[in-house]
Amino acid sequence: MVLDPAVELRNVTTIYSGENRPAIRNISLEINAGDYVLVTGPNGSGKTTLLETILGILKPVSGIVKVFGHDMVRSPYKARMMCSYLPQDFMKKPDEPFKVREIVAMGLASKRALGRLSRDDWKRVDEVLKLLGIDKLSDRPIGRLSGGQQQKVFLARALSRDPKLLLLDEPFSSLDDDSRRFVADLLYKLNRKGMTIVLVSHAPPKIAGLTMRVRLVDGCIAGVERCSS
Amino acid sequence: MFLLTVLSASIIAGSLCGISGVLIARLRLSTLVFAIAHAALFGAAIGLFLNIDPLYTAMMLAILSSVIIGPLSDATGVPSDTLAMVMFSTYNALTFIFIFLSPGPTLAAEKVGGILWGSILAVTRTYLAVLVILAYLYALVLALLWNRFQSILFDRRLAEAEGVNTRLYVYLLTILSGVAISVSLKIVGGFLVFSLLYIPAACGFTAENIKRMILLSALIGGTSGSAGVILSFILNLPVGACIVVTATVIFIAVSIYAYIKRKQKTVF
Ligand SMILES: Nc1ncnc2c1ncn2[C@@H]1O[C@H](COP(=O)(O)OP(=O)(O)O)[C@@H](O)[C@H]1O
Ligand SMILES: [Mg+2]
Repeated sequence: MVLDPAVELRNVTTIYSGENRPAIRNISLEINAGDYVLVTGPNGSGKTTLLETILGILKPVSGIVKVFGHDMVRSPYKARMMCSYLPQDFMKKPDEPFKVREIVAMGLASKRALGRLSRDDWKRVDEVLKLLGIDKLSDRPIGRLSGGQQQKVFLARALSRDPKLLLLDEPFSSLDDDSRRFVADLLYKLNRKGMTIVLVSHAPPKIAGLTMRVRLVDGCIAGVERCSS
Repeated sequence: MFLLTVLSASIIAGSLCGISGVLIARLRLSTLVFAIAHAALFGAAIGLFLNIDPLYTAMMLAILSSVIIGPLSDATGVPSDTLAMVMFSTYNALTFIFIFLSPGPTLAAEKVGGILWGSILAVTRTYLAVLVILAYLYALVLALLWNRFQSILFDRRLAEAEGVNTRLYVYLLTILSGVAISVSLKIVGGFLVFSLLYIPAACGFTAENIKRMILLSALIGGTSGSAGVILSFILNLPVGACIVVTATVIFIAVSIYAYIKRKQKTVF
Protein backbone atom coordinates (compact mmCIF):
# COMPACT_ATOMS: atom_id res chain seq x y z
CA MET A 1 0.00 0.00 0.00
CA VAL A 2 1.31 3.43 -0.91
CA LEU A 3 0.68 5.97 1.84
CA ASP A 4 -0.97 9.26 0.94
CA PRO A 5 1.40 12.17 1.37
CA ALA A 6 0.61 14.34 4.40
CA VAL A 7 0.20 17.40 2.19
CA GLU A 8 -0.11 17.57 -1.57
CA LEU A 9 -0.41 20.86 -3.45
CA ARG A 10 -0.77 20.94 -7.26
CA ASN A 11 -0.58 24.30 -9.05
CA VAL A 12 -2.33 26.07 -6.22
CA THR A 13 -3.16 29.76 -6.50
CA THR A 14 -4.95 31.67 -3.75
CA ILE A 15 -6.34 35.18 -4.14
CA TYR A 16 -7.95 37.10 -1.25
CA SER A 17 -11.42 38.33 -2.11
CA GLY A 18 -11.30 41.86 -3.50
CA GLU A 19 -7.64 41.54 -4.51
CA ASN A 20 -6.23 41.08 -8.00
CA ARG A 21 -2.79 39.82 -7.13
CA PRO A 22 -2.53 36.22 -5.97
CA ALA A 23 -1.12 35.88 -2.44
CA ILE A 24 0.38 32.55 -3.48
CA ARG A 25 0.82 31.52 -7.09
CA ASN A 26 1.05 28.19 -8.81
CA ILE A 27 2.44 26.35 -5.81
CA SER A 28 3.22 22.65 -6.14
CA LEU A 29 4.58 20.90 -3.10
CA GLU A 30 4.57 17.46 -1.59
CA ILE A 31 5.13 16.84 2.11
CA ASN A 32 5.43 13.26 3.27
CA ALA A 33 4.17 11.86 6.54
CA GLY A 34 6.97 12.27 9.07
CA ASP A 35 8.50 15.31 7.37
CA TYR A 36 9.63 18.36 9.33
CA VAL A 37 9.35 21.32 7.00
CA LEU A 38 10.54 24.86 7.53
CA VAL A 39 8.90 27.52 5.37
CA THR A 40 10.77 30.84 5.25
CA GLY A 41 10.42 34.03 3.27
CA PRO A 42 10.10 37.79 3.77
CA ASN A 43 6.96 39.51 5.12
CA GLY A 44 4.05 39.23 2.74
CA SER A 45 5.60 36.39 0.76
CA GLY A 46 2.56 34.19 1.38
CA LYS A 47 3.60 31.94 4.26
CA THR A 48 0.43 32.40 6.28
CA THR A 49 -1.67 32.13 3.13
CA LEU A 50 0.06 28.85 2.32
CA LEU A 51 -0.78 27.34 5.73
CA GLU A 52 -4.40 28.46 5.61
CA THR A 53 -4.76 27.16 2.09
CA ILE A 54 -3.43 23.79 3.21
CA LEU A 55 -6.08 23.74 5.96
CA GLY A 56 -8.78 24.79 3.53
CA ILE A 57 -9.71 27.88 5.56
CA LEU A 58 -8.75 29.83 2.46
CA LYS A 59 -10.11 28.38 -0.75
CA PRO A 60 -7.71 28.45 -3.69
CA VAL A 61 -8.97 29.83 -7.00
CA SER A 62 -7.25 26.99 -8.81
CA GLY A 63 -5.25 23.87 -8.13
CA ILE A 64 -5.63 20.85 -5.90
CA VAL A 65 -5.04 20.74 -2.15
CA LYS A 66 -4.97 17.41 -0.37
CA VAL A 67 -4.18 16.54 3.24
CA PHE A 68 -3.77 12.84 3.97
CA GLY A 69 -5.59 12.22 0.73
CA HIS A 70 -8.61 14.38 1.58
CA ASP A 71 -9.59 17.13 -0.83
CA MET A 72 -9.43 20.28 1.33
CA VAL A 73 -11.74 22.27 -0.91
CA ARG A 74 -14.60 19.82 -0.98
CA SER A 75 -14.38 17.87 2.27
CA PRO A 76 -11.93 19.46 4.70
CA TYR A 77 -13.36 18.41 8.05
CA LYS A 78 -12.03 14.88 8.41
CA ALA A 79 -8.49 15.93 7.60
CA ARG A 80 -8.67 19.00 9.84
CA MET A 81 -9.46 16.73 12.78
CA MET A 82 -6.00 15.24 12.30
CA CYS A 83 -4.32 18.64 12.12
CA SER A 84 -3.47 21.34 14.64
CA TYR A 85 -2.92 24.96 13.80
CA LEU A 86 -1.12 27.68 15.70
CA PRO A 87 -2.20 30.95 14.10
CA GLN A 88 0.09 33.93 13.74
CA ASP A 89 -2.45 36.45 15.06
CA PHE A 90 -3.34 34.69 18.29
CA MET A 91 -3.41 37.68 20.66
CA LYS A 92 -6.68 38.24 22.51
CA LYS A 93 -8.00 41.48 23.97
CA PRO A 94 -7.71 42.15 27.74
CA ASP A 95 -11.47 41.70 28.27
CA GLU A 96 -11.56 38.23 26.71
CA PRO A 97 -13.53 36.16 29.24
CA PHE A 98 -12.20 32.66 28.48
CA LYS A 99 -9.65 30.98 30.73
CA VAL A 100 -6.42 29.19 29.79
CA ARG A 101 -7.50 25.67 30.74
CA GLU A 102 -10.85 26.04 28.95
CA ILE A 103 -9.11 27.26 25.83
CA VAL A 104 -6.66 24.37 25.71
CA ALA A 105 -9.53 21.94 26.31
CA MET A 106 -11.39 23.37 23.30
CA GLY A 107 -8.64 22.02 21.05
CA LEU A 108 -9.29 18.49 22.20
CA ALA A 109 -13.06 19.06 22.30
CA SER A 110 -13.03 19.80 18.56
CA LYS A 111 -12.15 16.15 18.01
CA ARG A 112 -14.83 14.77 20.32
CA ALA A 113 -18.49 14.07 19.65
CA LEU A 114 -20.55 17.06 20.83
CA GLY A 115 -17.32 18.49 22.22
CA ARG A 116 -17.60 16.33 25.34
CA LEU A 117 -14.33 15.64 27.18
CA SER A 118 -13.65 12.54 29.22
CA ARG A 119 -11.65 12.47 32.43
CA ASP A 120 -8.63 11.24 30.46
CA ASP A 121 -9.02 14.16 28.09
CA TRP A 122 -8.84 16.60 30.99
CA LYS A 123 -5.78 14.77 32.25
CA ARG A 124 -4.21 15.25 28.84
CA VAL A 125 -5.04 18.97 28.96
CA ASP A 126 -3.33 19.34 32.32
CA GLU A 127 -0.32 17.35 31.13
CA VAL A 128 0.22 19.65 28.17
CA LEU A 129 -0.21 22.75 30.32
CA LYS A 130 2.46 21.39 32.59
CA LEU A 131 4.73 20.42 29.71
CA LEU A 132 4.75 24.02 28.49
CA GLY A 133 5.16 25.38 32.00
CA ILE A 134 1.86 27.25 32.04
CA ASP A 135 -0.03 25.04 34.49
CA LYS A 136 0.03 27.86 37.04
CA LEU A 137 -1.89 30.05 34.59
CA SER A 138 -4.74 27.52 34.18
CA ASP A 139 -7.44 29.68 35.70
CA ARG A 140 -6.29 33.00 34.33
CA PRO A 141 -8.34 34.75 31.63
CA ILE A 142 -6.29 34.63 28.44
CA GLY A 143 -6.50 38.36 27.79
CA ARG A 144 -4.60 39.13 30.97
CA LEU A 145 -1.50 37.20 29.89
CA SER A 146 1.61 38.46 28.12
CA GLY A 147 2.13 37.77 24.43
CA GLY A 148 4.57 34.95 25.06
CA GLN A 149 2.28 33.34 27.62
CA GLN A 150 -0.66 33.54 25.23
CA GLN A 151 1.42 31.98 22.48
CA LYS A 152 2.23 29.05 24.76
CA VAL A 153 -1.48 28.61 25.48
CA PHE A 154 -2.23 28.27 21.79
CA LEU A 155 0.71 25.95 21.33
CA ALA A 156 -0.65 23.86 24.21
CA ARG A 157 -4.03 23.80 22.51
CA ALA A 158 -2.42 22.59 19.30
CA LEU A 159 -0.42 19.89 21.06
CA SER A 160 -3.28 18.66 23.24
CA ARG A 161 -4.90 17.29 20.08
CA ASP A 162 -1.96 15.02 19.41
CA PRO A 163 -2.16 15.87 15.70
CA LYS A 164 -0.73 13.90 12.81
CA LEU A 165 0.03 17.17 11.06
CA LEU A 166 1.08 20.24 13.03
CA LEU A 167 0.98 23.62 11.28
CA LEU A 168 2.76 26.42 13.12
CA ASP A 169 2.72 30.04 12.01
CA GLU A 170 5.65 31.98 13.51
CA PRO A 171 5.53 29.94 16.75
CA PHE A 172 8.60 31.66 18.16
CA SER A 173 7.49 35.24 17.54
CA SER A 174 6.67 36.15 21.15
CA LEU A 175 8.80 33.63 23.04
CA ASP A 176 11.95 34.43 25.04
CA ASP A 177 15.23 32.68 24.21
CA ASP A 178 14.86 29.89 26.75
CA SER A 179 11.32 29.13 25.60
CA ARG A 180 12.43 29.14 21.95
CA ARG A 181 15.07 26.56 22.67
CA PHE A 182 12.62 24.52 24.69
CA VAL A 183 9.94 24.58 21.98
CA ALA A 184 12.44 23.84 19.20
CA ASP A 185 13.64 20.85 21.19
CA LEU A 186 10.08 19.71 21.87
CA LEU A 187 9.18 19.92 18.17
CA TYR A 188 12.26 17.89 17.30
CA LYS A 189 11.16 15.15 19.70
CA LEU A 190 7.56 15.17 18.48
CA ASN A 191 8.73 14.85 14.90
CA ARG A 192 10.97 11.95 15.89
CA LYS A 193 7.89 10.23 17.27
CA GLY A 194 6.19 10.58 13.89
CA MET A 195 4.39 13.90 13.88
CA THR A 196 4.52 15.74 10.56
CA ILE A 197 5.38 19.39 11.17
CA VAL A 198 5.17 22.42 8.92
CA LEU A 199 6.77 25.40 10.59
CA VAL A 200 6.60 28.91 9.20
CA SER A 201 9.16 31.41 10.35
CA HIS A 202 10.70 34.46 8.71
CA ALA A 203 13.62 34.39 11.16
CA PRO A 204 13.95 30.89 12.59
CA PRO A 205 16.23 30.08 15.50
CA LYS A 206 18.51 27.08 15.15
CA ILE A 207 16.23 24.14 14.41
CA ALA A 208 17.40 20.55 14.55
CA GLY A 209 15.97 17.67 12.57
CA LEU A 210 14.51 19.47 9.55
CA THR A 211 13.85 17.26 6.54
CA MET A 212 12.89 20.02 4.12
CA ARG A 213 13.27 23.76 3.62
CA VAL A 214 10.90 25.77 1.47
CA ARG A 215 11.57 29.39 0.55
CA LEU A 216 8.74 31.63 -0.58
CA VAL A 217 9.25 34.92 -2.39
CA ASP A 218 6.36 37.00 -3.70
CA GLY A 219 3.91 34.14 -3.43
CA CYS A 220 6.04 31.73 -5.41
CA ILE A 221 8.35 28.93 -4.37
CA ALA A 222 11.89 30.21 -4.76
CA GLY A 223 13.51 27.04 -3.57
CA VAL A 224 12.85 23.62 -2.06
CA GLU A 225 15.70 21.83 -0.41
CA ARG A 226 15.65 18.34 1.08
CA CYS A 227 17.87 18.19 4.13
CA SER A 228 19.93 15.10 4.83
CA SER A 229 20.12 14.17 8.46
CA MET B 1 -54.49 34.55 36.73
CA PHE B 2 -54.16 36.52 33.50
CA LEU B 3 -51.45 38.68 35.01
CA LEU B 4 -49.59 35.55 36.12
CA THR B 5 -49.70 34.14 32.59
CA VAL B 6 -48.44 37.43 31.15
CA LEU B 7 -45.68 37.70 33.73
CA SER B 8 -44.47 34.16 33.12
CA ALA B 9 -44.51 34.74 29.38
CA SER B 10 -42.59 38.00 29.64
CA ILE B 11 -39.98 36.45 31.91
CA ILE B 12 -39.39 33.56 29.52
CA ALA B 13 -39.39 35.71 26.38
CA GLY B 14 -37.09 38.26 28.01
CA SER B 15 -34.65 35.58 29.14
CA LEU B 16 -34.53 33.94 25.70
CA CYS B 17 -33.79 37.31 24.12
CA GLY B 18 -31.14 37.96 26.75
CA ILE B 19 -29.37 34.69 25.99
CA SER B 20 -29.58 35.20 22.24
CA GLY B 21 -28.26 38.73 22.57
CA VAL B 22 -24.97 37.63 24.11
CA LEU B 23 -24.44 34.88 21.54
CA ILE B 24 -25.23 37.18 18.64
CA ALA B 25 -23.01 40.00 19.83
CA ARG B 26 -20.03 37.66 20.34
CA LEU B 27 -20.47 36.18 16.90
CA ARG B 28 -20.88 39.67 15.37
CA LEU B 29 -24.19 38.72 13.89
CA SER B 30 -26.06 41.81 15.03
CA THR B 31 -26.90 43.14 11.57
CA LEU B 32 -27.98 39.72 10.44
CA VAL B 33 -30.27 39.22 13.39
CA PHE B 34 -31.60 42.75 12.95
CA ALA B 35 -32.81 41.66 9.53
CA ILE B 36 -34.28 38.49 11.01
CA ALA B 37 -36.17 40.53 13.60
CA HIS B 38 -37.79 42.45 10.76
CA ALA B 39 -38.50 39.26 8.89
CA ALA B 40 -40.43 38.18 11.97
CA LEU B 41 -42.30 41.47 11.93
CA PHE B 42 -43.12 40.97 8.25
CA GLY B 43 -44.30 37.47 9.12
CA ALA B 44 -46.58 38.90 11.77
CA ALA B 45 -48.02 41.32 9.21
CA ILE B 46 -48.73 38.39 6.90
CA GLY B 47 -50.51 36.69 9.79
CA LEU B 48 -52.60 39.80 10.24
CA PHE B 49 -53.41 39.83 6.54
CA LEU B 50 -54.34 36.14 6.42
CA ASN B 51 -56.08 36.36 9.76
CA ILE B 52 -54.02 33.61 11.39
CA ASP B 53 -51.99 33.79 14.57
CA PRO B 54 -49.03 36.11 13.83
CA LEU B 55 -46.82 34.04 16.14
CA TYR B 56 -46.56 31.19 13.67
CA THR B 57 -46.13 33.28 10.54
CA ALA B 58 -43.52 35.40 12.32
CA MET B 59 -41.60 32.31 13.32
CA MET B 60 -41.78 30.88 9.82
CA LEU B 61 -40.40 34.02 8.22
CA ALA B 62 -37.71 34.43 10.87
CA ILE B 63 -36.48 30.87 10.44
CA LEU B 64 -36.71 31.12 6.67
CA SER B 65 -34.54 34.23 6.58
CA SER B 66 -32.02 32.77 9.02
CA VAL B 67 -31.66 29.83 6.71
CA ILE B 68 -31.45 31.68 3.39
CA ILE B 69 -29.32 34.69 4.26
CA GLY B 70 -26.04 32.78 4.58
CA PRO B 71 -26.30 30.79 1.33
CA LEU B 72 -27.70 33.88 -0.43
CA SER B 73 -24.66 35.88 0.64
CA ASP B 74 -22.35 33.08 -0.54
CA ALA B 75 -24.17 32.79 -3.86
CA THR B 76 -24.36 36.51 -4.68
CA GLY B 77 -20.99 37.46 -3.21
CA VAL B 78 -22.69 40.37 -1.42
CA PRO B 79 -21.34 40.62 2.16
CA SER B 80 -23.94 39.28 4.58
CA ASP B 81 -24.08 42.60 6.48
CA THR B 82 -25.00 44.52 3.35
CA LEU B 83 -27.46 41.85 2.34
CA ALA B 84 -29.00 41.99 5.81
CA MET B 85 -29.61 45.73 5.47
CA VAL B 86 -31.23 45.24 2.06
CA MET B 87 -33.45 42.53 3.50
CA PHE B 88 -34.30 44.67 6.53
CA SER B 89 -35.50 47.52 4.32
CA THR B 90 -37.45 45.20 2.08
CA TYR B 91 -39.14 43.48 5.01
CA ASN B 92 -40.15 46.84 6.44
CA ALA B 93 -41.72 47.93 3.17
CA LEU B 94 -43.55 44.62 2.86
CA THR B 95 -44.70 44.89 6.47
CA PHE B 96 -46.37 48.23 5.75
CA ILE B 97 -47.97 46.90 2.58
CA PHE B 98 -49.42 43.87 4.33
CA ILE B 99 -50.66 45.94 7.25
CA PHE B 100 -52.30 48.27 4.78
CA LEU B 101 -53.89 45.36 2.96
CA SER B 102 -55.03 43.52 6.07
CA PRO B 103 -58.81 43.22 6.41
CA GLY B 104 -60.75 45.66 8.55
CA PRO B 105 -60.22 49.39 8.90
CA THR B 106 -56.60 50.25 8.00
CA LEU B 107 -54.40 50.78 11.03
CA ALA B 108 -56.99 49.38 13.40
CA ALA B 109 -55.08 50.41 16.48
CA GLU B 110 -55.42 47.22 18.44
CA LYS B 111 -54.39 44.72 15.80
CA VAL B 112 -51.63 46.73 14.19
CA GLY B 113 -50.39 48.06 17.48
CA GLY B 114 -50.23 44.48 18.65
CA ILE B 115 -47.49 43.62 16.20
CA LEU B 116 -45.73 46.99 16.10
CA TRP B 117 -45.43 47.93 19.74
CA GLY B 118 -46.58 44.81 21.48
CA SER B 119 -49.58 43.87 23.55
CA ILE B 120 -50.33 41.70 26.50
CA LEU B 121 -53.87 41.03 25.35
CA ALA B 122 -52.47 38.55 22.87
CA VAL B 123 -50.86 36.52 25.64
CA THR B 124 -52.97 33.39 25.94
CA ARG B 125 -52.44 30.12 27.72
CA THR B 126 -51.66 28.47 24.39
CA TYR B 127 -49.02 31.10 23.73
CA LEU B 128 -47.48 30.49 27.13
CA ALA B 129 -47.43 26.75 26.45
CA VAL B 130 -45.67 27.29 23.11
CA LEU B 131 -43.22 29.58 24.84
CA VAL B 132 -42.44 27.03 27.53
CA ILE B 133 -41.84 24.29 24.95
CA LEU B 134 -39.58 26.50 22.84
CA ALA B 135 -37.64 27.69 25.86
CA TYR B 136 -37.13 24.08 26.85
CA LEU B 137 -35.88 23.15 23.36
CA TYR B 138 -33.63 26.21 23.29
CA ALA B 139 -32.08 25.29 26.63
CA LEU B 140 -31.71 21.67 25.57
CA VAL B 141 -29.84 22.52 22.36
CA LEU B 142 -27.64 24.99 24.20
CA ALA B 143 -26.78 22.52 26.95
CA LEU B 144 -26.17 19.63 24.57
CA LEU B 145 -23.89 21.58 22.24
CA TRP B 146 -22.44 23.97 24.80
CA ASN B 147 -18.82 22.91 24.37
CA ARG B 148 -19.04 23.39 20.62
CA PHE B 149 -20.73 26.77 20.93
CA GLN B 150 -18.19 27.87 23.53
CA SER B 151 -15.28 27.10 21.24
CA ILE B 152 -16.93 28.96 18.36
CA LEU B 153 -17.72 31.92 20.62
CA PHE B 154 -14.08 32.08 21.65
CA ASP B 155 -12.45 31.85 18.23
CA ARG B 156 -14.52 30.77 15.29
CA ARG B 157 -11.63 30.57 12.83
CA LEU B 158 -9.57 28.35 15.07
CA ALA B 159 -12.53 26.05 15.72
CA GLU B 160 -13.06 25.82 11.96
CA ALA B 161 -9.36 25.03 11.47
CA GLU B 162 -9.68 22.23 14.00
CA GLY B 163 -12.40 20.49 12.05
CA VAL B 164 -15.60 21.97 13.49
CA ASN B 165 -18.17 22.84 10.86
CA THR B 166 -18.77 26.23 12.41
CA ARG B 167 -21.20 27.40 9.76
CA LEU B 168 -23.65 24.71 10.79
CA TYR B 169 -23.53 25.71 14.45
CA VAL B 170 -23.78 29.40 13.65
CA TYR B 171 -26.87 28.72 11.53
CA LEU B 172 -28.34 26.86 14.45
CA LEU B 173 -27.71 29.79 16.79
CA THR B 174 -29.16 32.19 14.24
CA ILE B 175 -32.30 30.11 13.96
CA LEU B 176 -32.64 29.89 17.74
CA SER B 177 -32.35 33.66 17.93
CA GLY B 178 -34.96 33.97 15.21
CA VAL B 179 -37.28 31.82 17.30
CA ALA B 180 -36.60 33.88 20.43
CA ILE B 181 -37.40 37.04 18.51
CA SER B 182 -40.60 35.65 17.03
CA VAL B 183 -42.02 34.62 20.37
CA SER B 184 -41.08 37.91 22.00
CA LEU B 185 -42.58 39.93 19.18
CA LYS B 186 -46.07 39.45 20.57
CA ILE B 187 -45.26 41.10 23.87
CA VAL B 188 -42.60 43.63 22.94
CA GLY B 189 -43.61 44.47 19.38
CA GLY B 190 -41.65 44.61 16.16
CA PHE B 191 -40.20 48.06 16.69
CA LEU B 192 -38.59 47.22 19.98
CA VAL B 193 -37.87 43.52 19.99
CA PHE B 194 -34.31 44.10 18.88
CA SER B 195 -33.66 46.30 21.92
CA LEU B 196 -34.43 43.33 24.13
CA LEU B 197 -31.63 41.47 22.39
CA TYR B 198 -29.20 44.29 22.71
CA ILE B 199 -29.62 45.96 26.09
CA PRO B 200 -29.51 42.92 28.41
CA ALA B 201 -26.51 41.61 26.45
CA ALA B 202 -24.74 44.93 26.95
CA CYS B 203 -25.22 44.45 30.71
CA GLY B 204 -24.11 40.84 30.44
CA PHE B 205 -20.74 41.80 29.03
CA THR B 206 -19.74 43.27 32.38
CA ALA B 207 -19.55 39.73 33.83
CA GLU B 208 -16.21 37.95 33.81
CA ASN B 209 -16.95 34.67 32.12
CA ILE B 210 -19.15 33.61 29.27
CA LYS B 211 -21.58 31.53 31.31
CA ARG B 212 -22.15 34.41 33.73
CA MET B 213 -22.54 36.79 30.81
CA ILE B 214 -25.33 34.64 29.43
CA LEU B 215 -26.98 34.14 32.83
CA LEU B 216 -26.80 37.83 33.71
CA SER B 217 -28.20 38.80 30.34
CA ALA B 218 -31.02 36.25 30.69
CA LEU B 219 -31.76 37.50 34.19
CA ILE B 220 -31.91 41.12 33.09
CA GLY B 221 -34.02 40.22 30.06
CA GLY B 222 -36.47 38.37 32.29
CA THR B 223 -36.53 41.13 34.91
CA SER B 224 -37.09 43.84 32.31
CA GLY B 225 -39.88 41.76 30.81
CA SER B 226 -41.79 41.26 34.03
CA ALA B 227 -41.14 44.72 35.48
CA GLY B 228 -42.16 46.25 32.16
CA VAL B 229 -45.42 44.35 32.16
CA ILE B 230 -46.23 45.55 35.69
CA LEU B 231 -45.32 49.12 34.81
CA SER B 232 -47.49 49.02 31.73
CA PHE B 233 -50.41 47.77 33.86
CA ILE B 234 -50.00 50.52 36.41
CA LEU B 235 -49.27 53.37 34.02
CA ASN B 236 -51.46 52.13 31.19
CA LEU B 237 -48.66 52.56 28.64
CA PRO B 238 -47.58 50.29 25.75
CA VAL B 239 -45.97 47.20 27.21
CA GLY B 240 -43.03 46.92 24.76
CA ALA B 241 -41.91 50.46 25.49
CA CYS B 242 -42.16 49.88 29.26
CA ILE B 243 -40.02 46.74 28.96
CA VAL B 244 -37.33 48.47 26.96
CA VAL B 245 -37.26 51.54 29.22
CA THR B 246 -36.91 49.23 32.23
CA ALA B 247 -34.04 47.43 30.49
CA THR B 248 -32.35 50.77 29.82
CA VAL B 249 -32.66 51.83 33.46
CA ILE B 250 -31.08 48.52 34.53
CA PHE B 251 -28.36 49.01 31.92
CA ILE B 252 -27.50 52.43 33.31
CA ALA B 253 -27.39 51.07 36.86
CA VAL B 254 -25.17 48.15 35.81
CA SER B 255 -22.85 50.46 33.88
CA ILE B 256 -22.43 52.77 36.85
CA TYR B 257 -21.76 49.80 39.11
CA ALA B 258 -19.18 48.37 36.70
CA TYR B 259 -17.56 51.79 36.39
CA ILE B 260 -17.21 52.18 40.14
CA LYS B 261 -15.86 48.66 40.51
CA ARG B 262 -13.26 49.32 37.83
CA LYS B 263 -12.27 52.64 39.38
CA GLN B 264 -11.64 50.94 42.72
CA LYS B 265 -9.36 48.40 41.11
CA THR B 266 -7.23 50.58 38.87
CA VAL B 267 -4.72 53.02 40.22
CA PHE B 268 -3.57 55.70 37.83
N1 LIG C 1 -6.89 39.35 4.53
C1 LIG C 1 -6.17 39.73 3.46
N2 LIG C 1 -6.76 40.40 2.45
C2 LIG C 1 -6.07 40.78 1.36
N3 LIG C 1 -4.78 40.54 1.19
C3 LIG C 1 -4.11 39.86 2.13
C4 LIG C 1 -4.78 39.42 3.33
N4 LIG C 1 -3.88 38.77 4.10
C5 LIG C 1 -2.71 38.81 3.42
N5 LIG C 1 -2.85 39.46 2.26
C6 LIG C 1 -1.79 39.68 1.24
O1 LIG C 1 -1.32 38.42 0.81
C7 LIG C 1 0.09 38.42 0.71
C8 LIG C 1 0.67 37.30 1.54
O2 LIG C 1 0.38 37.51 2.89
P1 LIG C 1 0.76 36.51 4.05
O3 LIG C 1 0.46 35.14 3.59
O4 LIG C 1 0.13 36.96 5.29
O5 LIG C 1 2.34 36.72 4.11
P2 LIG C 1 3.38 36.24 5.21
O6 LIG C 1 2.68 35.35 6.18
O7 LIG C 1 4.44 35.53 4.44
O8 LIG C 1 3.92 37.46 5.86
C9 LIG C 1 0.56 39.80 1.12
O9 LIG C 1 0.84 40.54 -0.04
C10 LIG C 1 -0.62 40.40 1.85
O10 LIG C 1 -0.68 41.78 1.61
MG1 LIG D 1 2.38 35.52 8.17
